[in-house]
Amino acid sequence: MTRVTRRTPGSSVLRLPSARIAVAILAVIVFLAIFGSTLAPQSPLAIDAGALYRGPSPHHLLGTDYLGRDVLSRLMAGTRLSVLTAFEAVGIGLVIGAPLGVATVFLGRWFDFSANRVADALMTLPSIFFAVAVTAALGNGLVQAMLPVGILLAPVFFRVSRAATLEFSRAQYVEAAELLGGSKLHVIRVHVLRKVLPTIAVTTATAAAGALLAVSFLTFLGIGVQPPTPTWGGVLSSDLDYLNLAPWAPFIPGALIAITVGALNALADAYRDRAGAGELHSPVTDPVIKTHSTLQALEAADDRQTAA
Amino acid sequence: MTAQVTQPPATAAPPLLAVAGVDVVLGHGWRATQVLTGVGLDIWPGEIVGLVGETGSGKTTLARTIVGLVRPRQGRIMFAGTEISGLRGGARRRERRSGHVQLVFQDPLRSLDPDLTVAEIVGEGLAIRGGLDTRQISEKVDDALAKVGLEAALRDRAPGQISGGQRQRVSIARALAAGPRLLLCDEPVSALDASNRNYILRLLAGLRDSLNLPIVIISHDLSSLAGIADRVVVLYRGRIVEDGPVSQVFSAPRHPYTALLMASAPSVRSQGDGPLTVHHLRRTAADPPPPDGGTACVFAARCPFAIAACATQPPLTTVADRWTAACHRHREWGELASKRPRHP
Amino acid sequence: MTGKPPRDEVLGLEDLHVTVHDGAATAVRGVSLSVAAGEIVGLVGESGSGKTLTCRAALGVLPPGCAVGHGTISFERQDVTDLSRRGWERLHGTGMGAVFQDPASYLNPNLTVGSQLAEVLRVKQRLPRREARRRGIDLLAAVGLHRPDWVFHQVPGELSGGMLQRVMIAIAISCEPRLLIADEATTALDVTIQAEIIELLRDLRDQRGLAVLFVSHDLAVIRELCDRVIVFYAGEIVESGPVGEIIERPRHPYTQALLRVASVGDFRRRELQVIPGQPPQVGADITGCRFAGRCPAAIEACRSGPVSLAPLSHAHQARCVRATDPALTAVPVTTAATTAAAEAAELAAR
Repeated sequence: MTRVTRRTPGSSVLRLPSARIAVAILAVIVFLAIFGSTLAPQSPLAIDAGALYRGPSPHHLLGTDYLGRDVLSRLMAGTRLSVLTAFEAVGIGLVIGAPLGVATVFLGRWFDFSANRVADALMTLPSIFFAVAVTAALGNGLVQAMLPVGILLAPVFFRVSRAATLEFSRAQYVEAAELLGGSKLHVIRVHVLRKVLPTIAVTTATAAAGALLAVSFLTFLGIGVQPPTPTWGGVLSSDLDYLNLAPWAPFIPGALIAITVGALNALADAYRDRAGAGELHSPVTDPVIKTHSTLQALEAADDRQTAA
Repeated sequence: MTAQVTQPPATAAPPLLAVAGVDVVLGHGWRATQVLTGVGLDIWPGEIVGLVGETGSGKTTLARTIVGLVRPRQGRIMFAGTEISGLRGGARRRERRSGHVQLVFQDPLRSLDPDLTVAEIVGEGLAIRGGLDTRQISEKVDDALAKVGLEAALRDRAPGQISGGQRQRVSIARALAAGPRLLLCDEPVSALDASNRNYILRLLAGLRDSLNLPIVIISHDLSSLAGIADRVVVLYRGRIVEDGPVSQVFSAPRHPYTALLMASAPSVRSQGDGPLTVHHLRRTAADPPPPDGGTACVFAARCPFAIAACATQPPLTTVADRWTAACHRHREWGELASKRPRHP
Repeated sequence: MTGKPPRDEVLGLEDLHVTVHDGAATAVRGVSLSVAAGEIVGLVGESGSGKTLTCRAALGVLPPGCAVGHGTISFERQDVTDLSRRGWERLHGTGMGAVFQDPASYLNPNLTVGSQLAEVLRVKQRLPRREARRRGIDLLAAVGLHRPDWVFHQVPGELSGGMLQRVMIAIAISCEPRLLIADEATTALDVTIQAEIIELLRDLRDQRGLAVLFVSHDLAVIRELCDRVIVFYAGEIVESGPVGEIIERPRHPYTQALLRVASVGDFRRRELQVIPGQPPQVGADITGCRFAGRCPAAIEACRSGPVSLAPLSHAHQARCVRATDPALTAVPVTTAATTAAAEAAELAAR
């Protein structure tokens, strides 16, 4: 069936200035993740015993750390590992949680009950101890460390996608599809998925921010990455150890993490504002203006928009 | 509780749809409420039946029960000689994919997926049924759209981008594309202005004429039904209180509730040229208290003509050929009403 | 209307223009009307004809993106066009009340209707709690609710649509306004309840001398209730006059068409009529009569220049160049039917 361009939430998201800034920041991060280690002005591992705890200078734009290594280079080179591991955790959570959350609504009461109890149980686990236990069992490494983080993110995806699916599975158009003999798979594919995806996308952005913090926190604890491999969390952690000698130092990696997390959250917010259930499903949410003439005026505006 | 009086069929043929003795309870435990009680309804091919009643009378629930969205506690629903009320799982899905019985929901804004195009919505049943390629589906969609008088140019619009009258027609086109043998329309015109209302009703009448398609139109507007329906069925608090040919019921209703509905309908003609006004038919403080209790006639509490006999629910009895009413006093109340004061 | 307003004018609109889409289009163009105390005036027209926007402008609650572009709104002869938000709030309830189509969406589902009614009395009239409660129950009785003290303690979910609409009317008249604006207030109700609400509004007018502006798309409902009717088409008044005269001798072809599609109430089988074509888009630029495109009687003169609202008799006005053309007015409209062939062609074209 042919499809014309319609108002898609994705395109209108970029009309918001906050979303544009967020996308620009994330583009820079992605760029750094790909080219950061090659573009780094100096070797992230080069020790300079003569320049410890230096503040920003023309030679070291963001200063040096406790071994005299260039902080800018370490952050640039550490981007890839930080981002990739965060992606790993989010990917694991998304792949396990979201499909189950959508499916559980259609798989009967017993399955739904059991799946919810498992999610409850996972959510009570203290994440750090879980991560420590898993790395103890599987050997220390950032990839192993992110596995438990991903598993602990799964219930979040499960809950969110289940709630969204539940809302849309009760819609009358789903009933209409069932009356036409549509199977559960058809209902999910045609009617539910498209409406649940924005919610899942928002959760992904939020979870990515969370995972980035988790990576930083785990490396800070010494789980995951072995020194001297640079990561954002690793830089932050070592800076905190020498807080008395260079109190300003942790702010640099901290700000980078905060900006990235903030951009992800801003993008998620913008997407929710634009594609949120309210806008897509009732043309006018304000009951005061829910009247024939304004509705028609809005429809006329829509017509013009599509014609243009 | 059921007292279904069998009606002599219009033709020798059996009815296409036969609803018999249906009780429906919605909700569980202490929230359970009986919505339909002993409802019997037969539909023959080619007739337009108007199902009228006020909010909460159970007319929507009856339609949902017929299509299998609500399971009756008692009674059964036969379609073309086979029982469809007990179907489950795969058997029910097969029956639904045949598209024999189609329901047009009340509010197209809610029953049409806002993210699909008109063509996707109308072709959904065909896509589910399978066996047709994209082009065949597309042709059938255009065909269904043409039947409801919509241009093919609308096929790529979303439901939010067309007018209310057009949305209602898309909803009807979706039902037609499934190739129905019976069409149920739940309040198809209640949200539309008079011109669009008449347009949709004429469209439905035209479908009956061209396809010999029987149509059940649920409505609370008797006046517009009078224009196109052959038979009218009046539902009050989950019971059928009158069922008969439209011209006869509307010229001399046998149930006081039907008469009240008629007298309440607004009209551009001046008040007072009808034989009965609402004041003839509403209870006043001067009327003796109605009998109450669980077994009383459902309408007794609002009926100015209730007597001791009305302490039991009257069965639907034949009052004339193909015409039934559930009133103990169906012979007398008309005369009593005309003697009541016209104004309070 | 135009000319000098009646002695006890409550609401007066003069050359009102309402723009939509932040001024990009004009949805209401040059509406002048007045409602006097004790008078029920009906506004009728198809969806999108601007009747609701006119009402909203008169209430000072235009939706976002809409604004009064030109013209004045006066309440009891005071110009309120540029009233501040605070000023409108003071006027709501005490000066004017409003009832809309969907009562449930204007009440908080978690609070009893009584507390919501009493709150209005306490805020607007500064009544003490106990007194507000007593007055609230009196008001619920005044709008014809049985067992008002029971209703007072119910949450909206426990009450039927008709009861909720009565509660909304009670709230609207609680501070004894002089004007009640009812926008499609009976449209969603059952016919039996609609008949009761119509009687209630008529009683309120008789007992309190309330001025009522009643908006509906159903001419039959207007006929039952109103003294005067104003017919809207595409943002303009096309005809106005006493209800009996408009029903008996409509002079504008659009009013005639509306009458043909309205409920006749004789319950006889008849051809259901439709008005061919679609109304013009909001903001469409049309020279001449805006109805000409759908009008069976349109001639050259209709499209050549703007048509003004011309008086036909003492209180009757129509915006039609052929309003006095005997060829048009001779047809008794309630039985007039366009030819079946033309209708069929139209049906196919739609």
